[in-house]
Amino acid sequence: MKTLRTHIRVVLALVLRESRVRHGRSKAGYTWAIVEPVLQVTILTILFREFRGGAEGNGAEFALFFATGVLSFNMFRNTAAYIMNAFEANRALFNYPMVKPIDAAIARLILDLATNLVIMFIVLGFQITFLDVPPPEHVPLMALPLLLLALMAMGAGLSLAVIKRFLPSVQNLYHIIMGPAFFVSCIFFSLSSIPTQYRMILWWNPLIHGVEGFRVGYFADYSAPDINLLYLFTWVCCLNFFGFVGEWLTRFKTT
Amino acid sequence: MIDLLNVSKSYTIRGGRRNILNGVSMTLPWDNIAILGRNGAGKSTFLRMIAGIEEADGGIIRRHKSISWPLGFRGSFHRELSGVENVRFVARIYGQDTEEMVENVKEFAELGQFYYEPVKTYSSGMGARLAFGVSMAVNFEVYLIDEIMAVGDARFKAKSKRAFQKRLPTSRLIMVSHSMNNLREYCQTGLVLDNGKMTYYEDIEDAIKRYEQLNEE
Repeated sequence: MKTLRTHIRVVLALVLRESRVRHGRSKAGYTWAIVEPVLQVTILTILFREFRGGAEGNGAEFALFFATGVLSFNMFRNTAAYIMNAFEANRALFNYPMVKPIDAAIARLILDLATNLVIMFIVLGFQITFLDVPPPEHVPLMALPLLLLALMAMGAGLSLAVIKRFLPSVQNLYHIIMGPAFFVSCIFFSLSSIPTQYRMILWWNPLIHGVEGFRVGYFADYSAPDINLLYLFTWVCCLNFFGFVGEWLTRFKTT
Repeated sequence: MIDLLNVSKSYTIRGGRRNILNGVSMTLPWDNIAILGRNGAGKSTFLRMIAGIEEADGGIIRRHKSISWPLGFRGSFHRELSGVENVRFVARIYGQDTEEMVENVKEFAELGQFYYEPVKTYSSGMGARLAFGVSMAVNFEVYLIDEIMAVGDARFKAKSKRAFQKRLPTSRLIMVSHSMNNLREYCQTGLVLDNGKMTYYEDIEDAIKRYEQLNEE
């Protein structure tokens, strides 16, 4: 009981410490963490709408369709990247006996999850209020795929952080993979709009199940028969297993 | 105050393994203890093991007292955060009153405006003052000190000594230093670390004699 309390205290202290330096030392630091992605999504939405020439996906307004895709995808990509750097960013603090590398990863997960939820709230809230698009249909059904994506970000980030102890360049590899992943993760198209032979290949991308699952909860009549959250959950378990066990096995290799 | 049961520790360096402890069993007595040994004998690693930051390869370390983190140049401060933010972090993880600790350390460390600047802008003396101030603000029974007493001007050294003397009824320290005068000033007994073996001397002078012998070999 005492150790659990210490654990919670440490994670909370780390969340506060991370929020102080997340975006530079400026007074507006944390505000930027919100404003920047909101602007980014807005600009991307306008760009993609122009490209599509007003075509709509699955009967929903395209701006909303695109926002649901890019928001859930970005949450995964940014959170995993942020957790990947948790160890070296907090190295000095591991000199306190109760502060463990896993705590730093958990603190980053909590902080980035909270930040991304605020971003979603702002972007979707804006569209619902000013673009006259429908509000979410089934919030708990949206939350589950989102939670799975966040947990997968934890597993992926932690695994990458462990690999990074031996191979620092894995960081570049991650960004190289996540660039093209933007185009094959159902962000600006739906899985059911893809011809069958390609659909079966794309299906293996776990992010699709999170992104499309999120939409199933949001839109009243969204058709995504191929989505399998159990498949996403398998990725969550495997990556977290690798990350947690790997961290434990390699804990003293770098000191 | 600390029991070592068959504790082993070694690490790999370029060109082979280096033994730090080779199955050492010992009870560290309730004393101010100096730790001596040649460069690379593993003095700092031993402190980190006592603190619980680094694990032994084999054996058990039992701690019966509350033990500080090792205070040293390696630093436990986040360089991007200011002194005051680092103090708040320590207060939070040790469950202390945050603002009270901020005030106490402010008074003790005498950093002036630097207290509110990132730690990366500090001189090594300022960093040591902050480190010593923070650790003295938390009530530990055992303070682990890695070289840090040797920095700072005479006035600050005297102040540190007074602060520690106040703690003496309830606290002890375990200290690594290359300055024999420093060790004599604070410690009554000594441990000499050599090639995986650890020897305890009830009189610090005997420990220093042994250490000087090792250096001549």
